[in-house]
Amino acid sequence: MTAQEHHAPQSFWTKYIWSQDHKVIAIQYSLTAIFVGLVALVLSTLMRLQLGFPGSFDFIDASAYYQYVTMHGMIMVVYLLTAIFLGGFGNYLIPLMVGARDMVFPFVNMLSYWFYLLAVVVLLASFFVTGGPTGAGWTLYPPQAILPGTPGSDWGIILMLVSLGIFIIAATMGGLNYVTTVLQARTRGMTMMRMPLTIWGIFMATILALLAFPALFVSAIMMLFDKLLGTSFFMPAILSMGEQMGHEGGSPILFQHLFWFFGHPEVYIVALPAFGIVSDLISTHARKNIFGYRMMVWAIVVIGVLSFVVWAHHMYVSGMNPYFGYFFATTTLIIAVPTAIKVYNWVLTLWQGNIRMSVPMLFALGFVSTFTIGGLTGLFLGNVVVDLPLSDTYFVVAHFHMVMGVSPVLVIFGAIYHWYPKMSGKMLHEGMGKFHFWATFLGTYAIFFPMHYLGVLGVPRRYYAYENYDFIPDSAKDLNAFITIAAIFVALAQLVFLFNLAWSYFKGKESGPNPWEATTLEWQTETTPPGHGNWGETVPVCHRWAYDYSVPGYEQDYLPQNYPEEAKV
Amino acid sequence: MAFAVVLVILVLGSVLFHFLSPWNITPIASNWGSIDVTMLITLVITAVVFIAVNFFIAYAVIKFRHTPERKAQYEPENKKLEWWLTLGTSVGIIAMLAPGLIVYADFVNVPEDAHQVEVVGQQWSWSFRFPGEDGELGKSAIEHISTDNGFGVDPLDGAGQDDRLLTSNTLVLPVNRPVKLLLRSKDVLHNFYVPNFRVKMDSVPGQVSYQWFTPTRTGDFEVLCAEYCGIGHFNMRAFIKVVEQQEYDDWLAGLPTFAQSLKKEASEKLSVKAEKGMQVAQQKGCMACHGFESSPAGPSWLGLYGSTRVMKDGSEVVADDDYLKEAILEPNASVVKGYAPIMPKLELSELEMESVIAFIKERGNETDPEHQQGTDAGKASGAELAQSKGCTACHSIDGSRLVGPSWQGIYGSERTLASGETVTVNDAYLKESMFKPNAKMVEGYPPVMPPSQLSTAQANALIEYIKSL
Amino acid sequence: MTTQTSSKAQGLSGFVQDWSADKEAFQVPWGKAMMWIFLLSDTFVFGCFLIGYMVVRISAVDPWPPATDVFALTIAGQSIPLVLIAIMTFILITSSGTMAMAVNYGYRKNRHKAAWLMLLTAFLGLTFVGMQAFEWTKLIEDGVRPWENPWGAAQFGAVFFMVTGFHGLHVSIGVIYLTIVAIKVLRGHYEKKGYEIVEITGLYWHFVDLVWVFIFAFFYLW
Repeated sequence: MTAQEHHAPQSFWTKYIWSQDHKVIAIQYSLTAIFVGLVALVLSTLMRLQLGFPGSFDFIDASAYYQYVTMHGMIMVVYLLTAIFLGGFGNYLIPLMVGARDMVFPFVNMLSYWFYLLAVVVLLASFFVTGGPTGAGWTLYPPQAILPGTPGSDWGIILMLVSLGIFIIAATMGGLNYVTTVLQARTRGMTMMRMPLTIWGIFMATILALLAFPALFVSAIMMLFDKLLGTSFFMPAILSMGEQMGHEGGSPILFQHLFWFFGHPEVYIVALPAFGIVSDLISTHARKNIFGYRMMVWAIVVIGVLSFVVWAHHMYVSGMNPYFGYFFATTTLIIAVPTAIKVYNWVLTLWQGNIRMSVPMLFALGFVSTFTIGGLTGLFLGNVVVDLPLSDTYFVVAHFHMVMGVSPVLVIFGAIYHWYPKMSGKMLHEGMGKFHFWATFLGTYAIFFPMHYLGVLGVPRRYYAYENYDFIPDSAKDLNAFITIAAIFVALAQLVFLFNLAWSYFKGKESGPNPWEATTLEWQTETTPPGHGNWGETVPVCHRWAYDYSVPGYEQDYLPQNYPEEAKV
Repeated sequence: MAFAVVLVILVLGSVLFHFLSPWNITPIASNWGSIDVTMLITLVITAVVFIAVNFFIAYAVIKFRHTPERKAQYEPENKKLEWWLTLGTSVGIIAMLAPGLIVYADFVNVPEDAHQVEVVGQQWSWSFRFPGEDGELGKSAIEHISTDNGFGVDPLDGAGQDDRLLTSNTLVLPVNRPVKLLLRSKDVLHNFYVPNFRVKMDSVPGQVSYQWFTPTRTGDFEVLCAEYCGIGHFNMRAFIKVVEQQEYDDWLAGLPTFAQSLKKEASEKLSVKAEKGMQVAQQKGCMACHGFESSPAGPSWLGLYGSTRVMKDGSEVVADDDYLKEAILEPNASVVKGYAPIMPKLELSELEMESVIAFIKERGNETDPEHQQGTDAGKASGAELAQSKGCTACHSIDGSRLVGPSWQGIYGSERTLASGETVTVNDAYLKESMFKPNAKMVEGYPPVMPPSQLSTAQANALIEYIKSL
Repeated sequence: MTTQTSSKAQGLSGFVQDWSADKEAFQVPWGKAMMWIFLLSDTFVFGCFLIGYMVVRISAVDPWPPATDVFALTIAGQSIPLVLIAIMTFILITSSGTMAMAVNYGYRKNRHKAAWLMLLTAFLGLTFVGMQAFEWTKLIEDGVRPWENPWGAAQFGAVFFMVTGFHGLHVSIGVIYLTIVAIKVLRGHYEKKGYEIVEITGLYWHFVDLVWVFIFAFFYLW
């Protein structure tokens, strides 16, 4: 088709800036996402300074605090996690793993990155406008989000909504490429059921993105209209600062339904690629096929589908019709079943394996452990009546950080250590990697495990300060201080990782084409890093599934997917 | 190897932490112990899985660690094992969901004998309303909200007249009686939550939501707002005091009714009732012939109430409530001398009538010194007002910075305004700040203060209090 | 070695065959697959708009202005309800007809007929947008604003402008898209590549038409 016919780019600009090569676009996405993620990391450190040592820093007043909370949340969920899993890993790995030369529409793919960058710029610009960035909480609930009384309710919220709209356009352009490439551009012999789980995870997540982002888009448009044109989609008759507003008849709960119809699939957009990647990391580094590949695929599909019918578990105490609680608690607890199966299959892959505790494997196992906790605490929150005391407390904060902030981030790190050699031809320094792992894994555990107990106690979230609440014991203040210290430690430890990325690019050990002896196609390229068109003269043919590790009857303990013998599976 | 050891330590440490941690669920004070039980069931099941998975990983990474001789097993799937795991998980899920939904059903179905209390949230304080003897809360709407009608109760709704109003932030409830809280909001989303009672629910502007519980022991409990509502969210305080039934009844009887609040407060404007009366008078066309100047068509209302008038037949009549009522309902029964019997018969409800009479009385007799005093339903001290009106949500009294400037030492001090000019904080400045908050903002603070709903007397009391800090 | 068979099985076995095939799941060009998926996503956008409209209509405190009266035109002294909308619908459906014919001629390699039919389709689309603009002007003159209108619930104007605005935007983009492709077809740009592009453009155009049918049903007729 047309994509493969264009010639290799020649100039610096077309090679590295206006590139239509999926690998370059992937790196652009990843670097931008990491940069903006570091901004959000600094914001969270500032938040923790206020929580651990209240009042110590004059510039962190209530207004600023809520702005940090909001921007930290939105950046992390959307601009880091979604962007890096889909735009970073999706772009890099999909064509390579399915045996394609590039995405189906490289020009649109390139546009997708530049729209994403524009969305980031617009979002960061909100730090510099009158009133500062929005402080409405990442969930942006009306009526408060657009009313004075909430920080950033002038330009801040407008720029946030505009930025989200631009991001959605970027995600749609990229998403169409990822889905179509997986469906239509696989190489000979590469059936859907021979694709690595990394691809299944990203593929399903992209479908979710294409169907869920529309709801966010519509709610952003409606909120912009309510703010700029005085419409009443979400605004009932209310007072603001003592004045009767002109709105009437709108429904704040409509926003919540639209937002969470997007918001719940969104967390699976982050989780499913992590699931897929972790399956491949464990399998490769344990030299054993992933246990129950077919069930794993079905679990990914079923989780994806079910993720559209659980959204109102975020709304149990919203004042919606209470009868909805029965339905959503049921669907939410049902979705736990395929998720649990995945956890079992990961650990069963280790059974009778030949496990190498490499840095990627450490991160992968760190994921399984922390995702197990995070997923289990989700069962408390999903069960509607147990959610009543826990909703809007630190139990929720601890839960979602474990499942979104800790486990997928551990996967991102593991995946970078795993694929960095393919991307650069160099190994990341192992000693620094191990330090990075231990500091991050133990540090985040120290931050978020005890936090659940603050939630059980009833300590509410989104509070700037906790002065004079009798039911909160003084020891909780000590705990908050401890958590802050741990958070600072974890934040600083990331500097080692950043240094490693840069240092290893120039001084790292040469990796060769396939240092982990992995089966998947991306490791079978002619050159490392892969050149333009990925495969040289001939595109590989796929003869087997992605998990022929330790196959009986062969000397080497892995058979690449293009290993040309009759497939045993 | 290290990883396995660390994992085991983490698991054991976590279990130990659970039993040793001082941060446990608050002692329950309501009937919702069943929620605690459901939570415990969930904890036990999830704890088993947590321990099992982590121990399995730890065991596996030691037992199957890489050695040059080892070859991993090749087993793409094991349908039987997967089937059993699915079944086991489903059983575990049902074991959590079933009790959860059963207890939830209790929450959804409010007991018939629950008494009702309305909770109104606003940025950033709470107020409460009780249905009164008729057992029915009067209709309310945002459009009725004013300085003297903070709850926005419809003055023309009969059911609202006997509603009891509580603007302080301590709600008293009787022990062992189920109560249904009807939650309303005047501005943005809020959430009424008492950790000891377990349940919570958002209050959504534009609708009424509910939660119910039965307090099972007496005591004092703290209320938290549990839905982010803007910059003062973290300090939106209220308290619940659970007492014996008799004490509750006595306390409730001491609260002002809505009808009482309709009478003139010490604010300079018309009372709510009279304000309504003015609207009714305009709608029904009274002002076409009457009014407060002399009018050829009908007697002026200026100075009318309480005065003596000569009727057509020569008799003298005092223009009191009864007379005015008759004049409205049976206009031409007795006509004032000098006027033609042209007043049309009007249809007015009892309440409309009373409101018009209040209007005639207040507007017509505005120079009457009696009205300068005004009623005050329990003069509250400045300190109490500071709490109940929500001021302390944003202004501290100990010097710490919350949302707005601390009141400690503020009186008499010099402050720099956002405009650059300096101002001395005196009575006049404080009053202006209360009613026109964003006119003279202190530099470095966000312009988020809502105008206060205070009478002059209340404002004065607050200023005295601020002086004392 | 490939596991794909060449017979086109139908029904469930065809479904299974598609998804167990290597290389591609659907035997269509990449552009067509991508357009279908894009249209699926866009369906969700309009679906959310319409659901939002329905919720707002139910929760509005004031009565909803009756569409039959609002959208009536007085022609020769007679007030004819929804006449403009009826004409607009007719035009858009006709344009789908011309589009289908263009696709047909495209596959028959009849460049000129295909291109001119596409341009006709674009012209009909432009007429539709023009009429929509006329309707907007008329309503704005009558006092309809996103935040209020003279007849009832304030949300009526908000929904009207938002939904017809986004739909009109899609139609306008379609007009531009049609024109560009038509010109390229005329120039012989697709002789070698094949005329799937005409069908892909047609898919987009039919989608835009179908969305209009739903808007017509839910907003104007209800």
